[in-house]
Amino acid sequence: MKSREQEYKEIFIAEALEYYDSLNRHISELEKQPQDDRILAEIFRLLHNLKANAKAIGYLQISDISHKLETAFSLIRNKELNFSDEVVTVLFDGIDMLGDLITNVDNPVPVEPDPVLLRNLDIIVDSLSDSAIELAKIQKYSSSKNLSLSDLIYIQIKKLDHMLNLVGELIIDRDRIISLSRELNNDDLKVVSSHLYRITEELQYSVMDARLVNIGTLFNKFPRIVRDIASAEQKDIYLKIIGQDIQIDRNILQIITDSLLHLVRNAITHGIELPKEREKANKPRAGSLVLSARNERDNVIIKLEDDGRGIDLKQVRKTAVRNKLVAPDIAEDLPDSEVLSFLFEPGFSTAKEVTEFSGRGVGLDVVKNAIDSIGGRLHIDSISGEGTTFAMQLPTSIAVKGALLFEVDSIFYAIPLIHTEQVIALDKDELHEVGDVMVADLKGETVTVVYLNELLNADEATINLGDKTRLQGQIQNIVVVSYNNRKLGLIVDKLYRQQDIVVKPLNKPLDKIDLYGGVTLLGTGKVCLVLDVPAITRYFIHRR
Amino acid sequence: MAKQKKEEAIAPEENINTLPVPATNGNTVAEQSKAQEVVKEENVHLIVFKLGDEHYAIKIDQVKEVTLTPIITRMPRTPDFVQGVANIRGDIIAIVDLEKRFNIRPAAVTEGLNPNVTYTLVIEAKDYSIGVVVKEVPQSLNLSMSRIDRAPSFLQDTNIKENYIEGIAKVDNRLIIVLDMLRILSSDEIKQLTGK
Repeated sequence: MKSREQEYKEIFIAEALEYYDSLNRHISELEKQPQDDRILAEIFRLLHNLKANAKAIGYLQISDISHKLETAFSLIRNKELNFSDEVVTVLFDGIDMLGDLITNVDNPVPVEPDPVLLRNLDIIVDSLSDSAIELAKIQKYSSSKNLSLSDLIYIQIKKLDHMLNLVGELIIDRDRIISLSRELNNDDLKVVSSHLYRITEELQYSVMDARLVNIGTLFNKFPRIVRDIASAEQKDIYLKIIGQDIQIDRNILQIITDSLLHLVRNAITHGIELPKEREKANKPRAGSLVLSARNERDNVIIKLEDDGRGIDLKQVRKTAVRNKLVAPDIAEDLPDSEVLSFLFEPGFSTAKEVTEFSGRGVGLDVVKNAIDSIGGRLHIDSISGEGTTFAMQLPTSIAVKGALLFEVDSIFYAIPLIHTEQVIALDKDELHEVGDVMVADLKGETVTVVYLNELLNADEATINLGDKTRLQGQIQNIVVVSYNNRKLGLIVDKLYRQQDIVVKPLNKPLDKIDLYGGVTLLGTGKVCLVLDVPAITRYFIHRR
Repeated sequence: MAKQKKEEAIAPEENINTLPVPATNGNTVAEQSKAQEVVKEENVHLIVFKLGDEHYAIKIDQVKEVTLTPIITRMPRTPDFVQGVANIRGDIIAIVDLEKRFNIRPAAVTEGLNPNVTYTLVIEAKDYSIGVVVKEVPQSLNLSMSRIDRAPSFLQDTNIKENYIEGIAKVDNRLIIVLDMLRILSSDEIKQLTGK
């Protein structure tokens, strides 16, 4: 694999060459129409970008010459320098020099800019319209230039989407072929299909890799945004950005863009206090905001931490009770993590007290939904007076997901691994009927357990989720899922393996049924339903 | 072996050409038609099938293919009339039961007909497909447009919303109700699915 640095360098060279080509085109046009301000402005822009890019990556010669040329053109723009033949020649030479430097960036023997040319550039810039000073002739070293095309291409994300979909289809067919070759027990077929397996796997990773972008492309927009919001709110914010180099699927980044902006805005306007208040609370005047990304197994974790006032859990409890999300007596005993999850309830945001006192909850359900839609998870942590942390756990790729396969009432289901906490087998006696649900003790934590067959298949009129007698067999396989800081155990009939699946979205008109995140085809050709954990949790709560 | 059953099930009738259940896009359907008696008038090509004891029809251009019903995976907690989803040539589509949708009493099991073999009409709407299950082999029928009565008065009395019905055709002694599938699949109707 190429190093990140090498990749940056290649991108720089490709862009720089493109600038170089445009510069050549524009300056040739300018020679014909020296009065055209638009062309001049474009040349100016190109040189300016080239200068900035070169400086950022450390090619000082390129940025230096760009700077000189930029100055020359600014003089021309201000009519302080005539676009005369002599000047034109020097400018053309300068641009050729740029091209030469760019193409030789990778050359182990560095190309030095021609000192005569540098002097000529200085002369036209410094001497203004005084043409008395002789411009020295320079050697034309670029007359026999090679034409070359860029090593990088731009591609529409749509085309990559299409490719990824095709790869998904291919993987489904591959699994089918492998399963058939096992059934037929033909050696040739087995060899071919195992080769097919490797090829498709490599293809899948190549396409996924082609879609990756640096998180920095999004993160680097925030210093400016934070500055603007902070100055409007009259707050002092110190923003720290970590992990710009982490890579993620471009579409996933696109989907979370608005959510991240929303969270940042919330953190500044509501989370972090005014400088005066902070001083009173013995905190530094400037609030700290840390935006970080890191890899964790197959996922990317994006975190936003502030050291503001935190979320007022009392208010959240009160509002939850008032919005009838929970009974008053239960609200008092709920663990903090569950209380925080109320913030993601739609409509919770409209509660005035929350926005006034703790300031969170504005449209958090929208953020939650965006993250749910790509199969990610949102976690929230807050300590009163010390700050709040939002953590998004995101898949690196959309199409292929690790999932757990199981069976309920002879139907195959899958749950994406991102939502599963653990799998456990318990004896029926370890399940307890409490009220109208079952609970189990998992390592000291009491977790609600649901018999999926009952939840999915029982007649809605007679459904009873607290009746142990409806369970079959003595040992119960439980998939513990977690959503919104809340754990839920799902009892399944048969547990199968873990497997990478390609989730196909449901077609109309079934796409509106939110219990299912999609379907996938198993190697056997059978359809497997992908359960949507957020929806199944909501359905369960609604049921109760 | 399923193919043989298909042949047996076909019951040729006057004026109604049997449809030899094509495996792919209704090519064989198009080949048919010796309907010479209908000349020069604008013709309409229908696929006729039974729901309950009555004959219904859909225009052929709304039918993508007719196939033996594949294995259907039930989808819990969806409306009654959604039988589930099935894999038809790599596409996973919803399979619906129009008898349930319109509360049509299923016909008694006809003798000699295997109740386990049904047929699925794959209907193509603008941006998706849907499967409709029927119990007997669908048939193909060519008739002139003028034989479809577009505004029969009884429509207002039925529970099938009138705009689902394109018209009524009388062929021999039979009444054929011509449905507009695209209307049935229109967004209004789909809301039924999200009612929960």
